[in-house]
Amino acid sequence: MKRKERDSSSKDVWIFGDYRNYFQNRVTLQLIAKGRDLARNLGGKVTVLVLGEQVHQYAMEYVAHGADAVMVVDHPNLKDFQVETYTRIVASLVGNYRPDIFLAGATPFGREFFPRVAKRLKTGLSTDCIALEIDPENQLLLQTTPSFGGELLAEVITQNHRPQMATVHPGVFEEQPHDHQAIGRIIYPEVDIARDDRVQLVRSRPEQSKKGHLEDAPVVVVGGRGVSSKEQFQMLSELAELLGGEVGATRPAVLAGLAGEERLLGQTGKKVKPKLLITVGTSGALQYTTGIQGAETIIAINRDAQAPIFKMADLGLVGDARSILTLVLEKLRKRI
Amino acid sequence: MAKQRESLISAYHNYLVNNMLSPGFYVGVPDSATDFYFLADMMLPGEMTPPISARLYDNSGSFLVELKRNSIIKNPLHCVFETTPQGFRIVFPPDELVLDVNTQRFANGYLTRIKAKLRDSNGGLRIEPSYEGIQVYGEACLTLSAPFDRQKG
Amino acid sequence: MPSIRIDRHRMTIIREGVESIINPIDCVALEAALELREREGGEITVISMGPPQSEEALREALAFGADQSILLTDPAFAGADTLATSHVLARAITRLMPFPDLVLCGKQTIDSDTGHVGPQIAEELDLPQVCGVHEIHLDGDSLMVKRLYDGFLDTLRVSLPALLTVSHEISVPHHIPLGNLEKAFSEGEVIRWGLEHLDLTEEEVGLCGSATRVWKLHKAAAKRGGDIASGSPQRLAEHLIRKLEALSIIDEEEGKG
Repeated sequence: MKRKERDSSSKDVWIFGDYRNYFQNRVTLQLIAKGRDLARNLGGKVTVLVLGEQVHQYAMEYVAHGADAVMVVDHPNLKDFQVETYTRIVASLVGNYRPDIFLAGATPFGREFFPRVAKRLKTGLSTDCIALEIDPENQLLLQTTPSFGGELLAEVITQNHRPQMATVHPGVFEEQPHDHQAIGRIIYPEVDIARDDRVQLVRSRPEQSKKGHLEDAPVVVVGGRGVSSKEQFQMLSELAELLGGEVGATRPAVLAGLAGEERLLGQTGKKVKPKLLITVGTSGALQYTTGIQGAETIIAINRDAQAPIFKMADLGLVGDARSILTLVLEKLRKRI
Repeated sequence: MAKQRESLISAYHNYLVNNMLSPGFYVGVPDSATDFYFLADMMLPGEMTPPISARLYDNSGSFLVELKRNSIIKNPLHCVFETTPQGFRIVFPPDELVLDVNTQRFANGYLTRIKAKLRDSNGGLRIEPSYEGIQVYGEACLTLSAPFDRQKG
Repeated sequence: MPSIRIDRHRMTIIREGVESIINPIDCVALEAALELREREGGEITVISMGPPQSEEALREALAFGADQSILLTDPAFAGADTLATSHVLARAITRLMPFPDLVLCGKQTIDSDTGHVGPQIAEELDLPQVCGVHEIHLDGDSLMVKRLYDGFLDTLRVSLPALLTVSHEISVPHHIPLGNLEKAFSEGEVIRWGLEHLDLTEEEVGLCGSATRVWKLHKAAAKRGGDIASGSPQRLAEHLIRKLEALSIIDEEEGKG
């Protein structure tokens, strides 16, 4: 949708209701809170789009957490989050109702579904935003994302196309508390619920989680590109265990096979807010640090005194991680 | 403008009526002493049972039973009130189901599904089962945004 | 026999020793294609959109075993967001004869790539998509794929033609013997397509064809700036232990004042 349509779009903020793994996954609630802030600036309302089967509970939760309205398509065909089916229905609804802004959580589903919707609508999408604001002068949505491989933040705009779409990782915004007294509108649009059968879910079983939850750990020890071997990474695991925490990794470490994707911290991984975070051999790229900036105390170990990570550490140790940690582990093993 | 149906939704408790959620609704003229009505009133935070008040008639248009906030107050034909694990039902002996009220509990709220096929004193069909809830006909208010019973002085 | 094409749109330019200069996750997609070809037959075409220097990485793809490499390059393509990029790539795919049975992409790149391009190509070509796949098997005229998704292990059946994005767990890229590389660089031919070949106008591509643009760039604010200590490993180890005690993560050693 281009310039002409832009002027005729409503001032509303829409949010895609991603309720998979609710109550643990609260990204939709976080986006509702942010959406209210944006809508207030625009003079519009917040509507959460809920597709699925038997979604009554989620519709109620969204209203409780601040949605002005929920738009519900409840049908057995929509039982799984089927990408092509959802894309068609959501794009059709957006085309009819013309929200100004459309947000979704950067969950695994959001990451593969929202780009498809944006393409179908021929509009812009920015992903993994760490901030969203309305520019007071031009009323555009300022979408802030860490930029290509650097320490810079890019403010992206979608000038002539609508809606302005963005995904946000869980943990970036804060949800509003649950309000039992809330009452909102519920809209049931007329829509074609035909299912696209080219992809069929044959089987789905819970993945055996090997270890505890990274997000709940009070102490997190992270290994980055500077951790050069599995043996060294094992030292980090041991340190984490001795301190009662979990081990995490940056993307270079994951790609090098030192840790699994479930240990990934950062823009495209998990965001943690532990009491203590020890980050080893990480230079401090923004794509990583967005995942750890909520930690209470950060200790960084890196052999490069100029590494940007030291700017965001409460304590920095410049030296060889292997030597330092060998000694630390020796001492801790005796004590704990 | 696209076609749509619309209702209100409460964060705490809703009924399923006309295949939509609603915090409360009524059919007919609530509190009428001489006529059919069905009032599914709002359930407020802290409460655990949805208050149902109704004046019900049988298929031939004769008065059957009157209910005030889930308690039977007039029962000329000796209908039986049964509590169930998730609500209650009213049965016209020996086994004809007049009304079933079932409330599902969520982590932070409730959803009530009503099952009933009800006619008014003229024999007109006013309520019948539809999808998971009921479809209502005739004079009705489908969305209450405040409790009906508290509205009176 | 199904034919398989691989698709990607960017490469890393900096070369490290004899390691691949192709984006690691795209390497993995190419490796997955090679395994699939070994099992089921077919033909692999690697396509990329980038500046002329990108030809080097496409030669490397030929050395890896791709049957054909195509570079989509044109000054007009510069400054594209994923909307415009996916448009160029999708158009190129439609120019392949025959139309591919399978389009493979990396799920995400090592830098802050959005992961949009795969789904957006799939949308333009009306292909079903499955993202983050780590296992692919051909079963009749459809594929059985597996992926780890949101805490679940999903098994899906996808009818062909389709687009898949692969996760890095799918395979480990094998290192190319130097001999193959030299051969590829001297004999391999990378096909080049520009605006005209793809029958595209300037308005549809590059900056003009994009919906988003970067408005401002600024430095991220420095967050903390605490003490930085240097010295012998013994000193630093001691420092760390004392900090852990101060934070009550560990108890102070018995016998201390």
